[in-house]
Amino acid sequence: VLDVVKQAVDAARTAGASYADARFVREESESLTVRNQVMEGIDRSSSQGVGIRVLVDGYWGFAATARAEGSEIERTAKLAVEIARAASRLPRDPVRLADLEPAIGTWSSPMQEDPFPVPLEEKVALLMEATRRMQQVKGLSFAEAGIDLFRVRTWFASSEGSATEQTVVHSGAGIDATAIADGELQRRSYPNSFRGHISAAGWEHIAKLGLLEEAERTATEAVQLLSAEECPSEVATLVLDSGQMELQVHESIGHAVELDRVLGMEESYAGSSFVSPGDRGRLRYASELVSITADATMAGGLGSFGWDDEGVPAQRVPIIVDGIFRDFISSRETAGIVGGHSTGAMRADGWANLPLIRMTNINLEPREGSLADIIGDTKDGIFMSTNQSWSIDDKRVNFQFGCEIAWRIKDGSLTEMYRNPNYTGITTEFWGSCDAVGGREEWTLWGTPNCGKGQPGQTARVGHGTSPARFRNVQVGVR
Amino acid sequence: MPDLIGPDRVRTVADAALELPGVDGVEVLFMHEWGGLTRFASSAIHQSTWREDTGIRVRVIKGQRIGVAASNDFSPTGARRTAESAREMAEVVAPDPLFPGLTPRSTQPEWNGFDEVTASTTPDSRSRGAAALIAQCGPGFAAAGAFETVASEVALANTEGRFCWAPSTQASLTTVITGDGGGSGFAETFHQRVGGIDPEAIGRRAADKATASRSPKELEPGRYTVVLEPSAVSTLVGFLAWIGFGGRALAENRSCFSGKQGERVAAPAISIFDDATSPLTIGLPFDFEGTPRRRVELIRNGVFEGGVYDRRTAKQTGKETTGHALPPPNPEGPFPLNLFMEPGEDSIEEMIASTDRGVLVTRFHYSNVVHPVESIITGMTRDGTFLIEHGEVSSPVKNFRFTQSILGALQATTMVGWDTELASEFFFSASRVPALKVESFHFTGRSDH
Repeated sequence: VLDVVKQAVDAARTAGASYADARFVREESESLTVRNQVMEGIDRSSSQGVGIRVLVDGYWGFAATARAEGSEIERTAKLAVEIARAASRLPRDPVRLADLEPAIGTWSSPMQEDPFPVPLEEKVALLMEATRRMQQVKGLSFAEAGIDLFRVRTWFASSEGSATEQTVVHSGAGIDATAIADGELQRRSYPNSFRGHISAAGWEHIAKLGLLEEAERTATEAVQLLSAEECPSEVATLVLDSGQMELQVHESIGHAVELDRVLGMEESYAGSSFVSPGDRGRLRYASELVSITADATMAGGLGSFGWDDEGVPAQRVPIIVDGIFRDFISSRETAGIVGGHSTGAMRADGWANLPLIRMTNINLEPREGSLADIIGDTKDGIFMSTNQSWSIDDKRVNFQFGCEIAWRIKDGSLTEMYRNPNYTGITTEFWGSCDAVGGREEWTLWGTPNCGKGQPGQTARVGHGTSPARFRNVQVGVR
Repeated sequence: MPDLIGPDRVRTVADAALELPGVDGVEVLFMHEWGGLTRFASSAIHQSTWREDTGIRVRVIKGQRIGVAASNDFSPTGARRTAESAREMAEVVAPDPLFPGLTPRSTQPEWNGFDEVTASTTPDSRSRGAAALIAQCGPGFAAAGAFETVASEVALANTEGRFCWAPSTQASLTTVITGDGGGSGFAETFHQRVGGIDPEAIGRRAADKATASRSPKELEPGRYTVVLEPSAVSTLVGFLAWIGFGGRALAENRSCFSGKQGERVAAPAISIFDDATSPLTIGLPFDFEGTPRRRVELIRNGVFEGGVYDRRTAKQTGKETTGHALPPPNPEGPFPLNLFMEPGEDSIEEMIASTDRGVLVTRFHYSNVVHPVESIITGMTRDGTFLIEHGEVSSPVKNFRFTQSILGALQATTMVGWDTELASEFFFSASRVPALKVESFHFTGRSDH
């Protein structure tokens, strides 16, 4: 297949491109959903094609086709060049790519057992049993369980001599319990909401999630929430579990430090960022306890790879160090604008989209202590668990998150359960109020499978390693 | 540019799947889509793309056991291989007791949703449109946005003899113009034909908003009378589609309308219906299991009339399908893709003139559900938020966060705009709505810009 992408690069160069790269991508997925021991959905999908990206006189063009035959590739390469030439109708500073050594090699995400050949009977039986166990809990309305598997193979070549082949396998599963009564709907999920816990791993990841063992507790909490009090509206000390911290990092740090967003390239869709290039080394983003790293080299991370979709090698990059903002996640083009090298964050959704700056694994570095230690050290506060909803403004400043469940912390112990908890804040104020971050023993590398960006819209699977954390003076219970 | 594949060729490929042995039924959903998008930022084109893809999605039935497989290998061999994969799944899964059978043979009304000019729009043509829009920016302002033209053909064939095919086109132009003093303005337009897009008008509208919204002042959050422009109203209506109108959510008491059929849920001035067949929207004449679409009344004069159904939820609830199935498998159930809110008699200017103190909202941003049964969502204002005082727009204000029941807002609606605009979230989905004046709307926070 490498010959196909090299042919595409040659065709683009012949058509007039000063730079060209091409990716042939072959994707497979399998998804199963069981609800109340009824098969709600089972499907397999496959898709393949080639995307060709060119620079002509400093202007980008991109075209993609599912038909990777010789003449079609030539036609698509010419179209990419035509698109780039059409872009020159509006003058701009020509794109200059940051320097890069050509990438050569192969890479695969590690796994022990390929999840695709695992018999469907075994997968269905796991989900059936998980929902059966949840349904044993009196008062539960719906018990749902799902498995999602992805395999993506990418062949990449560029006119600078890069030629790589990569394979990533992502596997995930989760359970979800819903209780409904008297106009109230409550939901609990395990290990996390929105299809569970997905990882760059094989069937071994799903096998050790403990879906069956946690089914009864998950369902019981959903039913208990129906009769719980509403989360009070107050300014409180807030403790968040690792699962909610995943989305807090994603929305209020990960997106805010994407350099294309900072430079206005996403203004028309998801917005820009309050962070600017001059903030590097100066902006106090968070308290001294908060260090954030973009790490595409971690085993198990949905944002891990050998090279990004520009051929830049995977890196571990400090983003925030002891609360001070250090660097962006970037591409060759954007790094060329602000100076420096790409941090290797260009990723495309399949073959039909051009790469954008996407999160890799944006991790909150662990500090010390367990969740129990943090709660034990809190005199009065609220502990929230598991994301339910999220919203943030177009510069990543004002956010509001909802969680599935909360408890009052009183004198170091969890007491009363609350339903419909949420909290709101301003990004730097909130992170600046962080006075506890849990240790390595509580740190989990979560997967966010549904990160949206770009026009046309693209979905990326990204990673976030997080520990529980505590924040002071947070507005909770917004109604 | 590509040509339509056409019904004859689609039938030939689909037959390779429909002839799969050892099963009780097969359905083939076919989609072919191509198009380009010219994206601009800082008043220059920075990302331009073009793509073409063809896909088939095969549903195989064995008794009441169902398997689904999809591929973009559009060939008889690919279709057969996809069907075999779906059969493998159907052989091992548990039966679905609510499976209603495949859609029976029926005739399809005439359909004319395809525009050759839109389908063959060139990159240079889109670039010229972007340039015309950008030219409307005043000094100190820059435009970002996207100009997209897409063509598609969708077909469905099954072993019950049902076959339907429809080609469609869609063009859209959206922009955010930003600049001096934190000014930010937004405008967008959607049309079935690219000829219906007026880039200069879109640019002027966004540029005027951006100029007017410079140097916004801080306003305390709280409950305000609001005038919501159509783009903001489309967010409210779109979320109702997601959490309210689907037949499955209704039947399972997950909807904000569950148990409320025949009850007043909104002000008498509010009527909402779904109609994919209207020339005023962008839709398909059949749903994704082949049922012909038709107009469905959802809220009439403030009273909830009913939801939308596919074949499975129709069987579940003892109703008839309304032609709102999504592609299989679809655990979420049916969904209205072409909502309309009936226009009223008022202009936005009249709404402002009748407001002593309130807020004019251009659009909402990044909204999400807080409580589905109570129809509460949260989100931000964006790209033009203004204080209204004594019947006039007095100054721009910094963006608010809202946390608000949608039905609460519709119940507090006192004026409905006479003009409507089309807003689209994704292909085959669009809502056409007017502006609204809502007497009480809850802003629960604010941002710094």
